[in-house]
Amino acid sequence: MHSFLDYIRLYFIIETQYIKARMQYRADFIISSFGMFFSSLATLGIFWIIFNSIPELAGWTFMQLVFIYGFYMIAISPMQILFDHIWQIRFHVQQGTFLKYYFRPLNMMFYYMSEMFDIKGLTQLAAGVAILIYASIQLGIDWTLLRIALLLLTLFSASLVQISITLMAGCAAFWVLDSYPVLGLAWKLREFAPYPMNIFDGAFRFTFTFIIPLGFVAFYPSQLFLQPQDVSPLVYFSPLVGIGLFALTYWVWTLGVNSYTGTGS
Amino acid sequence: MSLIHIQNLNKHFKVLNRREGIGGAFRDLFSGSYRTVKAVDDISFDIEAGEIVGYIGPNGAGKSTTIKMMTGILKPSGGTLQVNGLMPYNNRIKQAQIMGVVFGQRTQLWWDLPVIESFKILREIYKVDQKMFDRHMGMFDELVGLKTLYSQQVRTLSLGQRMLCDIAASFLHNPQVVFLDEPTIGLDISVKAKIRSLIKTLNAERNTTIILTTHDLGDVEALCQRIIIIDKGKILYDGDIKRVTALFGAYRTLKLQIDNYADSTLQSLQEKLTEHFGADNGCTIAQTEEFWTDVTFDQARTPLSDVLGQVMANFRVSDVRIVEISMESVVQQVYDGALR
Ligand SMILES: Nc1ncnc2c1ncn2[C@@H]1O[C@H](COP(=O)(O)OP(=O)(O)O)[C@@H](O)[C@H]1O
Ligand SMILES: [Mg+2]
Repeated sequence: MHSFLDYIRLYFIIETQYIKARMQYRADFIISSFGMFFSSLATLGIFWIIFNSIPELAGWTFMQLVFIYGFYMIAISPMQILFDHIWQIRFHVQQGTFLKYYFRPLNMMFYYMSEMFDIKGLTQLAAGVAILIYASIQLGIDWTLLRIALLLLTLFSASLVQISITLMAGCAAFWVLDSYPVLGLAWKLREFAPYPMNIFDGAFRFTFTFIIPLGFVAFYPSQLFLQPQDVSPLVYFSPLVGIGLFALTYWVWTLGVNSYTGTGS
Repeated sequence: MSLIHIQNLNKHFKVLNRREGIGGAFRDLFSGSYRTVKAVDDISFDIEAGEIVGYIGPNGAGKSTTIKMMTGILKPSGGTLQVNGLMPYNNRIKQAQIMGVVFGQRTQLWWDLPVIESFKILREIYKVDQKMFDRHMGMFDELVGLKTLYSQQVRTLSLGQRMLCDIAASFLHNPQVVFLDEPTIGLDISVKAKIRSLIKTLNAERNTTIILTTHDLGDVEALCQRIIIIDKGKILYDGDIKRVTALFGAYRTLKLQIDNYADSTLQSLQEKLTEHFGADNGCTIAQTEEFWTDVTFDQARTPLSDVLGQVMANFRVSDVRIVEISMESVVQQVYDGALR
């Protein structure tokens, strides 16, 4: 049996090897990192264009949206960096290569996800941190120790929300022959997450709050820092939403893994 | 108590009878009709520590399904299954520590990493101590020259090299039992020989129990004392390999390309052989691939030259091949009562 520390150590050993192997293709790494960096700035460009014609968007200023966007970029990075292998799951399931993940004395989600570490996501994370710091200086947010602790907790939870939504969609591969549209849709929907939920009308807002809770990836938790005096009770739930959702996702994953029968012969 | 205990074990798959077209797929979604495939149908056997058992049968017999149950991937539909006293499906992580598995041609090594790094990661996963690690790596090098592959990326290995690495890796943590599912499929004779000697030595060195699945009779002849023959989910034979090789060792299949082949050809060939060798001649005739007619016969009873002579005298034959008896014909012979 492995302890938590064993797993950390193992993860470190495996990823070091992967990074070493990847570094042989340095040009590929540099180009894709730049691509990641600039594509994340594109959304900021859209905000800037919108705010050139209007001073506020549904009651939010440009700099507040920049803050939410920085929060969003940090929150989606753990999914990108640590769980990227979910994209391959339908191939493994269909071709029967998924079988090998049963043969080691390891937690299967750990073993499966450890086979990919997306380094270029680190540039996204760095860009997110820079944007968040810049926006909070501009907004004059007072970072007390308590607030910083709250920020870390909410970021942790928000990244679990993003991970859960994506993994849950990926798990469709255990039951659906062509599961790509499910995962593709979940990935596309993510682009709604950095927008204020109050710009969406009732049905969409309800969906993004209670069904596919993208609002908890950035918008709701950000309010704890943007307007701490005036937040809906929903916002206080945001640290719990991630943990609850991940527990549910892990349960679905286990269900999938236990019902997988492999391909014939 | 035996290492592996199986009693009245079943595995049934529910398979959707797919309807055609998009409309059909849509209707299947709501009201599919299912049929049950009895992949493993009420089998029982016990395997003792240290045995090498050949688990053989034609394609689709149920071999892989049995292994998937023994390794804890699949939940049995019914019956008892215990490995080292535990039910694998409910104790996957614990059981994985005492098992090694190689599944066909799907490697379990880290595809993008050099071979040696895979072994080092496995050392961490199974907590193999340095002394045992060094000893085993030395042994693998001695047996198959593993050291020359250490720095190669797994993806660059040939199929044969990869199989050797995978098999060696499955023994690294000194497991009590190793499952090898079709380890020699698609490999040429020289690699097959290497793999056989690797398996044999590892079994002798560490007294590791080995369950070997194959449809190559050569593998089992080289490695096993005991074989279990399975077909359509049922066990046809479980016992000493000597009885089987005594029976089938002398069997050969004569593959013939007969000119002007017609539907009546098989019939008249059968008649000619019966006419000459008598009704109980032990020959079976089948057409297994287009243009080729197979005559499987027992050399002890009907010498090759006689069979060939009879055929040549009565038919115009444009090509002839002689091959060892196939798994499919063995199973057919067993059905016909050969081992009774
Ligand atoms: N996951 C599955 N779903 C449905 N049928 C299966 C599945 N796996 C195996 N089968 C069927 O069960 C039978 C036995 O398969 P298998 O154990 O793979 O045979 P073998 O390994 O002896 O070639 C075959 O008829 C196969 O089609
Ligand atoms: Mg098989």
